[in-house]
Amino acid sequence: MPSSASARQASNALIFLGPAIILLFALLVVPIVVDLVVAFTDMAQTVTIGEFTTRQFNKLVRPSDDAWFGFELRGSFYRALSLTAIYVFCTLTIFNITFGLILALTTTALSDRLGAFFRAVWLLPRMSPSVVYGLLWIWVVDPTERGLLNQVLINVFGLEPINMMLDHPMVLIVMANGFIGASIGMLILTSAIRSIPKHLFHAARADGAGPMAITWHIVLPALRWPLSYITVFQTLSLLVSFEYIFLIMGASRSTMTMAMLAYTKTLAPDIGSGQYAYGAAITLILIVIGMATAMFMWRMSNMKALLAKPKIEVQ
Amino acid sequence: MTFRSLIAAGMAAATLTGAASPAFAEEITLTLWSRADRSGPLRAGNVVEAAKTLNQMLAASGSDKSVKVELIETNAKGFDADALDVLKAHSVGDTPDIIVAAHEWIGSFVQAGLAANLEEHIAANPNLYDDIIPTLWNAVSYKGARYGVPQDGEVRMFFLNNDMLRKAGKSEEFIASLPAKVNAGEFTMADMCTLAAEVKDAGASELGLVHRPNVGPDFQMAMAAFGIDMYNDEEARLQVSKSGLTKYYGWLKTCVDQGAIPADMTSYSWDSVHAAFRGEKAVAKFHGIWNLGAQLEAFGIDPLDKDAYFKKITWINAPAGEKGGTPKNLSHPIVYVVGDTPNKDLAAMLVALASQHVPNTRHAVTTNHTPINYGQMAMPAFQKEGWGLVAGVPLLEYAEFMPNHPRVGQYNAITFQGVQAVETGEMTVDEAVEMVIEELETELGEDVIILD
Repeated sequence: MPSSASARQASNALIFLGPAIILLFALLVVPIVVDLVVAFTDMAQTVTIGEFTTRQFNKLVRPSDDAWFGFELRGSFYRALSLTAIYVFCTLTIFNITFGLILALTTTALSDRLGAFFRAVWLLPRMSPSVVYGLLWIWVVDPTERGLLNQVLINVFGLEPINMMLDHPMVLIVMANGFIGASIGMLILTSAIRSIPKHLFHAARADGAGPMAITWHIVLPALRWPLSYITVFQTLSLLVSFEYIFLIMGASRSTMTMAMLAYTKTLAPDIGSGQYAYGAAITLILIVIGMATAMFMWRMSNMKALLAKPKIEVQ
Repeated sequence: MTFRSLIAAGMAAATLTGAASPAFAEEITLTLWSRADRSGPLRAGNVVEAAKTLNQMLAASGSDKSVKVELIETNAKGFDADALDVLKAHSVGDTPDIIVAAHEWIGSFVQAGLAANLEEHIAANPNLYDDIIPTLWNAVSYKGARYGVPQDGEVRMFFLNNDMLRKAGKSEEFIASLPAKVNAGEFTMADMCTLAAEVKDAGASELGLVHRPNVGPDFQMAMAAFGIDMYNDEEARLQVSKSGLTKYYGWLKTCVDQGAIPADMTSYSWDSVHAAFRGEKAVAKFHGIWNLGAQLEAFGIDPLDKDAYFKKITWINAPAGEKGGTPKNLSHPIVYVVGDTPNKDLAAMLVALASQHVPNTRHAVTTNHTPINYGQMAMPAFQKEGWGLVAGVPLLEYAEFMPNHPRVGQYNAITFQGVQAVETGEMTVDEAVEMVIEELETELGEDVIILD
């Protein structure tokens, strides 16, 4: 009976997809809708909505006759955008991709046991609680001669002590996030390298290929999809990440990225927070930037081809 | 005896005992919201104690009611974060009956319909309130009415380490004359930094002057010293002046350039700020009188030895910005606010009892806060252990309060951005002033007056 079959199909779909749809709806759609609504209100410390207004966005831009659209970005907002771009680009390219790739290549080239050991070491930052990790960084870069970094600089290299938090704050947060981010790339790329059929390596060696040639002609082409995935995924997660920045730098101007700006205007302790609508407006812009970036990268990396149905039937 | 008669006998007994004692003793639960704070555990403790007193009074009057205080102790990082949390609780209907809060939040509390107007309660109970130091009431007033009861007072000041001054070659006369010179307007903010830099350069200290690392009330006295009057009483709006800000940030810039204030002061943790002064690395610090206890401990001075303490440390007001000006001080009382709940009358009585001389002195003396009632100063505990507080009272002559404006937190956060930008060298003084004025205008809009 076709009707009962289609009913069963529908109920199966519900059973299988239902939980995922509810989760997606509750954790992704609802927050975006709430954010959208709050961004156009005057909600502040008293957590009440007095009126619907676009005032929050006026705080981010100012009218200007010279500018393209008749307005220009205000100082703090422009600065937050630039710092976000620098932070995401540097963390992603230097650590999450390049360093992750180097770790994957080197640890798979080592013996299994040694490789596993180094991977485990690189996983440690990700396994330690954020607050502990943040605190360790604070101790490492302590500007006095007590800081680990300065002890090394003074005692090993005979250099002057440096103050990372004051003089190189962006380098500091890129490194702190990068050391954690590199491990995800390392794990995914390691498993991708492991899944390359062994006979390709044997054949390459038989043809006289050296380690560089093997890496370039066999390993890297196999990593295209994992690398695209890491790039898109990590870009989006870095855009909204602020916890290590806050834990290490606090609400400092020098590392006030978009996500940090939204956090300090809403929930961060003791820095004039409680401006929920303002924070929501900043977050809304961040959501739009995230969506645009994701779509752009989707096209650039041809992710569609990765997710397309296989052209041959696999039995 | 059958089973049925057993039940009947049981029921009869129950009815009899029920008749002998009040049928249903009514216990009223009051919620008390207080953040766990090392600088004043008895702020909440005194209310809990007051409930005991009130229950004894109720029992003596034959009332079948009793009061129970349920303490909601939060772990908010500071009073600002805590106030935001209580506003959130209020917005979902969980309004506490009593709140321990920093006074400048009263404006927001009233606006949110959270705080109860206490005018009638205070007027009806002169025997409980008439000894409170009148200026303290300013701290709990919003638009002409009182919405709280001051719970403690305090004085903020610049602490100077005399030992380091001596080591840098300063004479005893010079040290002893400092407080008077400050009050006369002869010793200015600029002199303060020059002195701190001099001591540091002489090798008598590692650091010069340290201040709080985050947004907070202390900066108000420095701003006031440079002529910034933060509040326009008549219009009930915040205000700032460009010239005042330029002088204030200019002072900070000079201090950093001289090496008196560390450039990365705003990235210090509170612990390192405290360690800098108490660990005898910095020659000066500006903060509040409640530091006294920890300082006595850190310097190994007997808590009752006033002379030994003042041999080592000098207190001065925030010096005037320019020669001949007046020094400034800031008092930042923590207050009890009564929630606008059905239990507000009872809650107000508990607050009244907790604000009496004996319980308040217990809090004030153990945590180095100044008294709220005149009479407390005559109490033996104050005379003996509270010498520091009695010594701090003269500084109150120059005291100001933070404005009870709902957006003062935002105002402070924005002016602090300028402090950070100037100290770290990110901006010049003029750039910082321009940035701060622009931020104030856009974020506070109608709530702030910009003067030249």
